[in-house]
Amino acid sequence: MLLASAASAAAILGGWQLGAAATATLTTADGSTTLDTSGAASGSSGSSGSSGSSAPAASGSTGTTDSSGSTSSGSTGSDTGSTGSSSSDAAAAASSADGTYTGSSISTRFGNVQVQVTISGGAITEVTALQLTDHDGRSIQISNRAEPVLRTEVLQAQSASVSMISGATYTSAAYLQSLQSALDAAGF
Amino acid sequence: MTAARPPANAFAAMGTVVSVRPGRAARDAGTTDASTAEPSDARALGAVGDVFARWESRCSLFDPDSELSRIARGELRLLDASAEVRDAYALALHWRDATDGRFTPHRGDGVLDLNGVVKALAVEEAGEALDLLGRTDWAIDAGGDVLAAAGSRLPVGIVDPADRAALLARIDLDGGRRRAVATSGSAERGDHIWTVPGLERTPLVQVSVAAADLVTADVLATAIVAGGRAALDDLAARFDLDALAATRDGDLLATPGWPRQVRARG
Repeated sequence: MLLASAASAAAILGGWQLGAAATATLTTADGSTTLDTSGAASGSSGSSGSSGSSAPAASGSTGTTDSSGSTSSGSTGSDTGSTGSSSSDAAAAASSADGTYTGSSISTRFGNVQVQVTISGGAITEVTALQLTDHDGRSIQISNRAEPVLRTEVLQAQSASVSMISGATYTSAAYLQSLQSALDAAGF
Repeated sequence: MTAARPPANAFAAMGTVVSVRPGRAARDAGTTDASTAEPSDARALGAVGDVFARWESRCSLFDPDSELSRIARGELRLLDASAEVRDAYALALHWRDATDGRFTPHRGDGVLDLNGVVKALAVEEAGEALDLLGRTDWAIDAGGDVLAAAGSRLPVGIVDPADRAALLARIDLDGGRRRAVATSGSAERGDHIWTVPGLERTPLVQVSVAAADLVTADVLATAIVAGGRAALDDLAARFDLDALAATRDGDLLATPGWPRQVRARG
């Protein structure tokens, strides 16, 4: 439940890797507790079908499993199956899920994605994107939502040097009025 | 009309005009004999023309003898149509589902219109024909749907919907994830895009979509025009694309990846 909604942050980038995101071995920021949620993951992978060929390899297994957990050398891994409530403190056990969790770095068609989620009182209080890079390693936007732009922003100074024209040119009459015919005639 | 005819590297097909940049003959790169260049170009242009002629004979509603025109008149059953027509129909239905019906091959009057996928399919197939001929750096523009050869950069101008002799924007195809750009509009041909039921009039007069392949770009540009802002946000989130939309009010909307103001190259 919590994991599913945490993963929905990653869904902004592409819904189908939800399963992959949920497979992340989660580690608290202080490295003391590790949750292995791999059981919940396999079922959801491959749902919400999108183009199968480019489906990302769920590189969670090979990705950086815990960026913040590097200090947890003492607590070797997780006893799988435990829910992380190994803390002796009874009060902590009541809200054992509280903490800040870092998901694996997941490779997607847009690039690498890594999300950190903070859970307090059993509810997600914050989701932060730790790593969002494109295939060239540059950071990318989490949303592909269109925003207003000015004409001068998209026209670009070198517009005169285009080789072809894209427009809603559906008739040959319109073609003859268009820049494309001029480009063709000029042998561009 | 005594208007100028299309130049030699352009021809009329599917109710529009196809422009072809035949590129270069890579396999002949070592050959210095200039006399071979001309026939080679002609062969490339001929191959593209053949592909379009085949698709036109199957699916063009502008050709009364095409399979699709015969289907529209009830003279040919879809089940008896060629495999290419049935495959194109299946592809169109796939995209109808993928766009929640914003793109559809079913016209309001009941006629099956595969133009939304067939033009792009023809361009893609013509491009494969050029690849097989060993051409590189080719580009094909079918009525505003542009595809460039893999690995080849191509600067493309986007027409201003208010003035088709002027440019609105420019995008450089990269030969990879953005090999194709398509533009759809609600102004040019009112019958081309059927607006989604419940939406009075699309607020977007023109939408350009750049993607890895032309079918995706073309279908999604059409779907976004039909579906308006909601479709733009939804499809931009679900597909790997860059989009530029012109609204009825004259404003522009662009996804974060749509190129903006790159500095002049030194």
